[in-house]
Amino acid sequence: MNLTETLELAVLALYFLGAVLHILAVLIRGPLLRSGGQIATLLGFGLHTVDVGLYLARYGSDALGHGPFYFSLMAWTLIIVSLVLNWRLRMHFLALTSLPLALIVYSFATTLPSMEVILPESFMGLWFGLHIGTLFLSICLLAMAASAGAVYLFLENKIKGKTKITGLSKDLPSLSLFDQVNAWAVNLGFPLFTVGLLSGFLWAHFTWERFFSWDPKEVAAIIVWLLFAFLFHQRLVNGWRGRKPAKLAIWIFALSLVSMLGINFFLETHHSFQP
Amino acid sequence: MNQSICLLGLNHRTAPVEVRERYALPDVDPRDQGLIAAKSGVKEAMILSTCNRVELLTVGREDKDTVREILRFWANCCGGDVHELQDHTYTHRNLDAVTHLFSVASSLDSMVLGEPQILGQLKQAYRSSVKQGASGVVLNRLLHKSFSVAKRVRTETKVASNAVSISFAAVELAKRIFGDLSSQTAMLVGAGEMAELAATHLLSAGVKRMLIANRTHARGCELASRIKGEAVLFAELFERMAEADIVISSTGATQTVIQRRDIQSIMKRRRNRPMFFIDIAVPRDIDPDVNNLDNIYLYDIDDLKEVVEENLGQRKTEAAKAMVIVQEETEKFACWLRSLDLKPTILDLLAGGERIARKELKKTLRRLGSKADDPEVSQALETLVLSLAHKLYHQPLDFLKRRAQEEDAGTRYIDVTRRMFNLDNEPPSPDAHPDRRKPQSSEE
Repeated sequence: MNLTETLELAVLALYFLGAVLHILAVLIRGPLLRSGGQIATLLGFGLHTVDVGLYLARYGSDALGHGPFYFSLMAWTLIIVSLVLNWRLRMHFLALTSLPLALIVYSFATTLPSMEVILPESFMGLWFGLHIGTLFLSICLLAMAASAGAVYLFLENKIKGKTKITGLSKDLPSLSLFDQVNAWAVNLGFPLFTVGLLSGFLWAHFTWERFFSWDPKEVAAIIVWLLFAFLFHQRLVNGWRGRKPAKLAIWIFALSLVSMLGINFFLETHHSFQP
Repeated sequence: MNQSICLLGLNHRTAPVEVRERYALPDVDPRDQGLIAAKSGVKEAMILSTCNRVELLTVGREDKDTVREILRFWANCCGGDVHELQDHTYTHRNLDAVTHLFSVASSLDSMVLGEPQILGQLKQAYRSSVKQGASGVVLNRLLHKSFSVAKRVRTETKVASNAVSISFAAVELAKRIFGDLSSQTAMLVGAGEMAELAATHLLSAGVKRMLIANRTHARGCELASRIKGEAVLFAELFERMAEADIVISSTGATQTVIQRRDIQSIMKRRRNRPMFFIDIAVPRDIDPDVNNLDNIYLYDIDDLKEVVEENLGQRKTEAAKAMVIVQEETEKFACWLRSLDLKPTILDLLAGGERIARKELKKTLRRLGSKADDPEVSQALETLVLSLAHKLYHQPLDFLKRRAQEEDAGTRYIDVTRRMFNLDNEPPSPDAHPDRRKPQSSEE
């Protein structure tokens, strides 16, 4: 087993341990277990950062076109977004979504054969920074908003329906905190998504001399952007809060997943990892 | 055990409210009224008198007439009849009394299981007893112990968690919706007693501002000045309601006061910021349909009652765990009571001295290195340190033996000695002087 494989295995094990400890902490209400989960996550994230760094050092800008690296970076962004949200909102609950999700995405990265997209050398840095970086961040924020939205709907149902709030639900933070995650995701995520999309179109224009080519991935991205813009507008202009933005965030994230996994792998697109 | 503890009392289970009222003993000094006297055999006494219970806790000689004397004192104080009183009282002696007191302090014997008020009342009763000079070594220790048992029960069990009163349940729900209440504004619609109680709970939970809208503006102003709120005109109710996050309604109106359309327009002005309505009026003040609006949560008195009853059920399960703690602590207290005899204290003191001596001897032998291999040297050193320890304790022990001959002073000095040399290995209390909270260095 070489260094990369050892690192990957350690990261997977630590994320797995972190996820299990966080779940156990919620099930048996153990603050110590949660601390253990946080330590495992931070260690895993540290090693993951090393893994990302080594990959970049080995392949340079070519790494950006590699499918496994793409997913590894996605998982890494997901963890960093959840860590920042946890730090800002004291919402360790988000780890329950981000860790299992990062584990799945990172497992993808380690098991995928090394498919790659051929990218023009001159655009690599710009493309990576603006297109991939911003889109990843906004999708990860959406993931957090979707999970917070699902719990919001669950808890709100209980409060509105006046049903028993026992067991796990008793430890949940307040409704307003879950709504705040949605506000964060929309206020930060939408501008980032817009930058990501525009940079993609610009890149397409410089490469193929057309902004839009009806590629399925582009169509899906436009739909996601429209829904995201609607959510952004409703929150900002009409003061949407609570249930409606929670539901819409879930839909937008689901669509993003379909676009990322379904279209990239199963449809013919120039975003495919097939050479 | 040379001291007998006796607890005589009546409570909400053994006596109806009129009997509890008749035999209440507020502001009675057991010294002035002759409870503490040679005839009664009572040396220490404390009286706890609340709306749900009256209890007399005494320490004195083991005597079957003591209970009779206490009953007579009690009936005399209230101008009542001994036989009637006897029919409603319970008596606990020694460790049973200790267990009962610990249960009372931990609120396991209260009408509302786990309510914290009783501990405050017990502390007040003990303060009075100290002020009256009616408490001594055993009561001091017993009461302090009961406070720490109550604290342990609160920390280690959930017997006091979950709201078990309507207004407290409302506060808990508000926290579930808004989280921190320190930036929220609450509004009382109607200034009844229930609304006032709910307002007090909300204010103690940290609510930033309180608005009071009452049909009689003067009454609203009066309540506003009492709870440091702001009275608003009833005519401006809906205009000002847009500022409120929590609304408690308790008007005496026969028809609903707050309709769905009123709230819809308020929500537009609030840009959908959530609102929590608590309708404690019967008949209801708020149209139930309001609950169907987005970001609006409406609870009426029946909804809150359900929450309360559920929580009470959970408390009962926790009470069983709390009783185990009470039993454990009673055992510990029994050990301390036994130690109040002179002999165990002498043995503990000497054993403590020997322990320190041997520890120091070990250090010295280590420092001497190969010289300590000589058995004669180590033997001589051991004899030296042990006899030094015994001789140092000779004077205090002699003093204790002489004081033990005196009827009242013996127990007091034994207790002081045990505390001075920390023979019961107790950690200093959290409110102790900072110097006492530092690690003990006597054995170093």
